Amino acid sequence: MSAKSAEIFFKSESRYRTLVENSCDIIFSLDTEGNFTFVSHAWKTVLGHDRGDAVGHNFRKFIHPEDIPRYETSIMTALQTNSAQEVTYRIHHADGSWRWHTSRGTPHVDENGVLTVIGMAYDVTERLRIEEIMTQTEKMIMISGMAAGMAHEINNPLGAILQHAQNIERRVSTGIPANLKAAAEVGVDLDLVRAYLQKRGIFDFIGHIRTAGMRASVIISNMLYFSRRSESGAEYIDLSALLDRVLELAGTDYHLKKKYDFRRIDLQRDYAADLPLVPLVVAELEQVLLNIIHNAAQAMAGAAMRREPRITLRTRLSEGMVLIEIEDNGPGMDEATRLRIFEPFFSTKEVGVSTGLGLSVAYAIVTKGHRGAIEVQSRPGEGSCFTVKLPLQGKA
Amino acid sequence: MHNADIRVLLVDDEEIIRDCITAYLEDEGFIVQSAASAEEALETIAAIRPAVCISDLRLTGMNGERFIVKAHSLCPATVYLLHTGTLYSLSDELREIGMTADDVLLKPIHDLSKLVNKIKQSAAAGRTV
Repeated sequence: MSAKSAEIFFKSESRYRTLVENSCDIIFSLDTEGNFTFVSHAWKTVLGHDRGDAVGHNFRKFIHPEDIPRYETSIMTALQTNSAQEVTYRIHHADGSWRWHTSRGTPHVDENGVLTVIGMAYDVTERLRIEEIMTQTEKMIMISGMAAGMAHEINNPLGAILQHAQNIERRVSTGIPANLKAAAEVGVDLDLVRAYLQKRGIFDFIGHIRTAGMRASVIISNMLYFSRRSESGAEYIDLSALLDRVLELAGTDYHLKKKYDFRRIDLQRDYAADLPLVPLVVAELEQVLLNIIHNAAQAMAGAAMRREPRITLRTRLSEGMVLIEIEDNGPGMDEATRLRIFEPFFSTKEVGVSTGLGLSVAYAIVTKGHRGAIEVQSRPGEGSCFTVKLPLQGKA
Repeated sequence: MHNADIRVLLVDDEEIIRDCITAYLEDEGFIVQSAASAEEALETIAAIRPAVCISDLRLTGMNGERFIVKAHSLCPATVYLLHTGTLYSLSDELREIGMTADDVLLKPIHDLSKLVNKIKQSAAAGRTV
């Protein structure tokens, strides 16, 4: 190589190196086994890991176990079809979190004739988060509208069932003169009619109709939460005191007690000291928080816990909102469950244990009633964390 | 006041709702009349002069809110109750004629004896107006 061409070569080499090393996206190459042969400087800035942790190591070390098959398929397809493939997956960040990345990889035969996959990866966590919120909001608007419409349509037939059951009970009672008169007219003794109905269990049946009707009615009235607009009746409340009361309520919750001893749970309180009063409807927010705590306790009761069950209640201020975090160290949930958790009638519990309305009502109360937001993060095997965000400027 | 002295007008476009409430109230001794629409009720209310009028909110034709305002102008001594299947907060017009949140009854009423108590209270209060 002449001095001139060497100079051109080094300039060109330096230019490409600058391009690669200054890229905000991660540029990488993998061998056919899936071992990194190169990662650009962005590997360190985006993920916090040293480059030396990657080179010579397999991609499987960094990628979320659930996403490894997808990643493998994408590499295989790229190699087999000699085409660029795109894949989105979770990758481990040095801070312990999982970040969503999208990468595009292309097969490439290097100067030594070795087959590799070269590609570029960039962080899409924030974009996915926003997309998820938008999809969630649209979905909830649709389902909520349907639920509210259904609730309205069901109220009248339900009223007829409940009230006519009550009418039947009364029209065979001896306390109403018109009953005695009608019985006399047709020549029957009302006491004997009652004895017969009693003997054949008919009074119990009627009682069961009423009980079942009332149960349906409670579900329907929960669904009505979806149809309401913004909340009135909010007061400025000391959130720390409210949280303490909720924990107290949870401890005495009958349904919770039946299945789980709440006292066994280690309750951690991590309240921000500087919280202003927060505008909210006390009974409703209590319902929201109780529901989340109830779910956490149930999840921990149902799982084989290798560690001491713990629920942490945390509050803090962020961008004009107050954040309430309810974190447990239970079994957590997979991504498919997480995405559907606020849908009405979605339940992972057995039929009869739950109507699947609790968290959807919580969602409606927070987003519609309080113009706040509710989100959940979860790591299977490690726990879940619900975040309720409430605006500090309310309508109170 | 005896129940037999209390006239009740029930407005609901669903026959089955009129039937079950009427049956219960009649068993309690009230004089009950019903109408399937606001328009029908407005034709007869001045003649009936009920102590208490219970109206559905969502009616075909004129809705319960507007009906009560009109009916009140015809029969101001009547106590009006709104019977609704949706969460509802009273309009300013209804507040002006003295209605409160207690006068809104949420469907379905689980136990009609509560409606009976409400009618008795309302009739007693209406008489003192």
